[in-house]
Amino acid sequence: MRLTRAGSRNRWKARRDGIQKVTGELKYLSDMSFPNMLYGTVLRSEYAFAKINSIDTSEAEKLPGVSAVLTSKDIPGLNGFGIVIQDQPVFCEDTVRYVGDAIAAVAAETQEIAEKAAALIKVEYTPLQPITDPEVSLLAKTPKLHENGNLLHNAFYKQGADVEEAFANCACIVEEVYYTPRQMHAYMETEGGVAVPHEDGLTLYAPTQHGFKDQLQLSRILNMPESDIRVISSPIGGSFGGKDELNIQPFICLLARATGKPVKIHQSRRTSVKAGLKRHPMKITMKTGADKDGNLLAHKVRILADTGAYATLGPAVLDFAVEHSTGPYRIKHVEVEGYSVYTNNGVAGEFRGFGGNQVTFALESQIEKLAEMLNISSTALRRKNLRKTADPGPVNQQIVPTAGAEQVLDEILKSPILQDKPPNNESQPFILKGKGYSITMHGGGLGYGRSDPSGARLSLNEKGKLEISFGFEECGQGLLSTIEMIMTESFACSADDVEITIGDTAKVPHSGSSTASRATNMVWTGINKMKGSWCDKVYSFVSQQSGVPLEVLKTGHGGIWEYQENGNSALVMTYKEVADKISELPVVTASYHFPTTPESIDGGHFLYSFAGAAAEVEIDALTGRVYVSKLDHAIAAGPVVNPMGYLGQIEGGGSMALGFTLMEDAVMDNGKYMTENFDSYLIPTILDIPKSTNVSAIEELEDGDEYGPRGVGEIGTVAVAPAIVAAIHDATGHWVNKLPICPEEIMEFAFTKISKENQNGWLGGDKG
Amino acid sequence: MKEQLQAGKTIRFNVNGSSVDLSVPATYRLVDILRKELNLTGTKISCEVGRCGACSVILNGKLVNSCLVMAYQLEDAVVQTIESVSADALHPIQEAFLQGGALQCGYCTPGMIMALKSLLERESQPTKEEVLQGLSGNLCRCTGYEGILRAVDILANKAE
Repeated sequence: MRLTRAGSRNRWKARRDGIQKVTGELKYLSDMSFPNMLYGTVLRSEYAFAKINSIDTSEAEKLPGVSAVLTSKDIPGLNGFGIVIQDQPVFCEDTVRYVGDAIAAVAAETQEIAEKAAALIKVEYTPLQPITDPEVSLLAKTPKLHENGNLLHNAFYKQGADVEEAFANCACIVEEVYYTPRQMHAYMETEGGVAVPHEDGLTLYAPTQHGFKDQLQLSRILNMPESDIRVISSPIGGSFGGKDELNIQPFICLLARATGKPVKIHQSRRTSVKAGLKRHPMKITMKTGADKDGNLLAHKVRILADTGAYATLGPAVLDFAVEHSTGPYRIKHVEVEGYSVYTNNGVAGEFRGFGGNQVTFALESQIEKLAEMLNISSTALRRKNLRKTADPGPVNQQIVPTAGAEQVLDEILKSPILQDKPPNNESQPFILKGKGYSITMHGGGLGYGRSDPSGARLSLNEKGKLEISFGFEECGQGLLSTIEMIMTESFACSADDVEITIGDTAKVPHSGSSTASRATNMVWTGINKMKGSWCDKVYSFVSQQSGVPLEVLKTGHGGIWEYQENGNSALVMTYKEVADKISELPVVTASYHFPTTPESIDGGHFLYSFAGAAAEVEIDALTGRVYVSKLDHAIAAGPVVNPMGYLGQIEGGGSMALGFTLMEDAVMDNGKYMTENFDSYLIPTILDIPKSTNVSAIEELEDGDEYGPRGVGEIGTVAVAPAIVAAIHDATGHWVNKLPICPEEIMEFAFTKISKENQNGWLGGDKG
Repeated sequence: MKEQLQAGKTIRFNVNGSSVDLSVPATYRLVDILRKELNLTGTKISCEVGRCGACSVILNGKLVNSCLVMAYQLEDAVVQTIESVSADALHPIQEAFLQGGALQCGYCTPGMIMALKSLLERESQPTKEEVLQGLSGNLCRCTGYEGILRAVDILANKAE
């Protein structure tokens, strides 16, 4: 089904938070101010790698208007944070490991005074040669960045017999090295927030994808009970994984505790670039072999991920890449080794697609190249090796049966982009056109062996509203509308009957992080789990009050209705009347876990979504510039809950992936960022997007699938790069192995191709 | 010279129909005046180098990045921010944004709406090319711009 506004009819609904956003009324947490508020700033490292000899804050403290200057000595609890591994210091004591490392923080009456004070802090360093190449970082003689060495994590996967022997039986082998960039999340709202102290603790207003995880981490740092820290974490001005880790929260909380006043930090873009997370750059060596009939026999992969100075979610990202390195294909003999390595580069962490984007670019390129070598179509090669509905998952684990791989392949092949080669335009002799496509599968949730619980609460509140509460966050993805739509469709009620509470640790149950494409699925599961018992409680009261038999009571617009088969249903009691009269307001809670594979494979997933992407490119042979003129998506992720949200996620993901492929790279030189802002780090503008983008949503699940709609937050980003790269190859005959593509590289091949094709034409001088 | 600039003098200008007198340093940026002094936080701050358009406002009838305008340029100026757009009811652009799915996180939205409003004030029937040019200074990381183009189509009554 092509997903459109018109085709979605009455399910195309303006966002619940839309009016506040279009009027500018909405206060993002970084917009908030409080009486007597101070401004904070953080002094960050001058070097990518150095020893700290001394820190002198005396001059800064003396500056009028300065309320506090804090360093590592002023941390009451743990000087470390990280969602899984707390190896990132709040303030560095003796070593700095990257240019975003924090050394001190200042609170002052104005931003200007705070910055002036930070500049007065004297830090004496002994600079060290930064370790910027992950291969070098792994060498035995390289200095150790952390106590346990420079290897953060390794992960292996093997199936079948000896892979080298299998290669010996292959008719064709493709072996390549792929490189992917340090992509920046580039959320429009940089990290910011305010910490407000009060007698019993503090309230933190800061955007984060997981308020409870912030609360836990801050309690360790502040040495305060979690219950004394209230985290208000929505709305978020974009995140894409980049605000899942703590960023400014420790500093404003420490400063607020030290000064007894509210403290705000809203990071500048330059600081955000320096200190914030990026997508893991990866070097992927991939060797893939097939027999003469196109059966994939052997696949050997080595993944080297540059996690930068600290762990963040580096291990999980690597596990995900290892898991997805065979994608939706069944390959007999597989050997994958992955290494996540510390360096003095910027910190890499969680980012939409979670390691899948990098490895899918490599894998799908391999498939195309093998097909070329075997002289068969890449579609025939894919079909021959594609996973079937009941097949195990990519690491041979039990998964929920799914025909997603075949569905997206069938659907994307219908894209008009792939039907005929786009004709060349004679008036544009230097423009080459090409088309290509790719497919992928992507696991949802955190995976086997990782605690991935969720929870929900449904009540009838005093106002007579069906109040639904989750610990999820509105990052822009449209979660509020998704919750609204699952509620109104489940209870046949109106949007006005529903009150949604999210993003406030004082008010919501633990639902886990708004990450890993899990929230929609967990919202659907939670509401389904609670609906029955909530209705039982309400119906029993309404029946008692009204004498109407339980069996004919139904929830509906405004209240509880008596259902009659002739269609003359009547309102029995409004929700408000129920709330006013009932002695105890009904509250139901649910605790559940994201479904996991029973196989004990660390990080192995159970629910997958699938995507196909088709791209048409126009390449200017004189400049090497690639323009993606059309981009279509086929997505299999179960039923579409919120069409506007679903479409927006896929279109937005496609544009982000276009940036990943064509232009985005946070370039570092010797551990320093060369691209510090949007004047040199370019993300797609409205002029860079395709002339047309179509999204096809495949909603069918297998019979008996009880897991409902899968999230689509990530899946639209994964298959785009290899589709564009295949289209570039179609246009130029050249395979790109390094992203973002380099125009100089394209220009050379495109121009050569045009020259050859036009030997007797205008380049040859005599067109006649 | 620096001392003089720092000393600050009172500037008078008009924001959303109200006269404002402020004593701020001459180099204080309009975006900070709006957000910090006047609590008009609908104007967003993002790149601070005039590349993202999140802080777009209309100054004396022209679209500007308020991060690049300084206090001394505001004497007698007329500034319109997002807060002025829907004084009574939602502006048709805002309505089209809601209907088109032109916003997700919403952080670029006020700037995007100001840019479109400025374009439509200059040219009531812009071509597609003019729309693309007019919005090319406003970055959006969430929507992939497709929703924004749907909103433009709705405004032009060209919706599917």
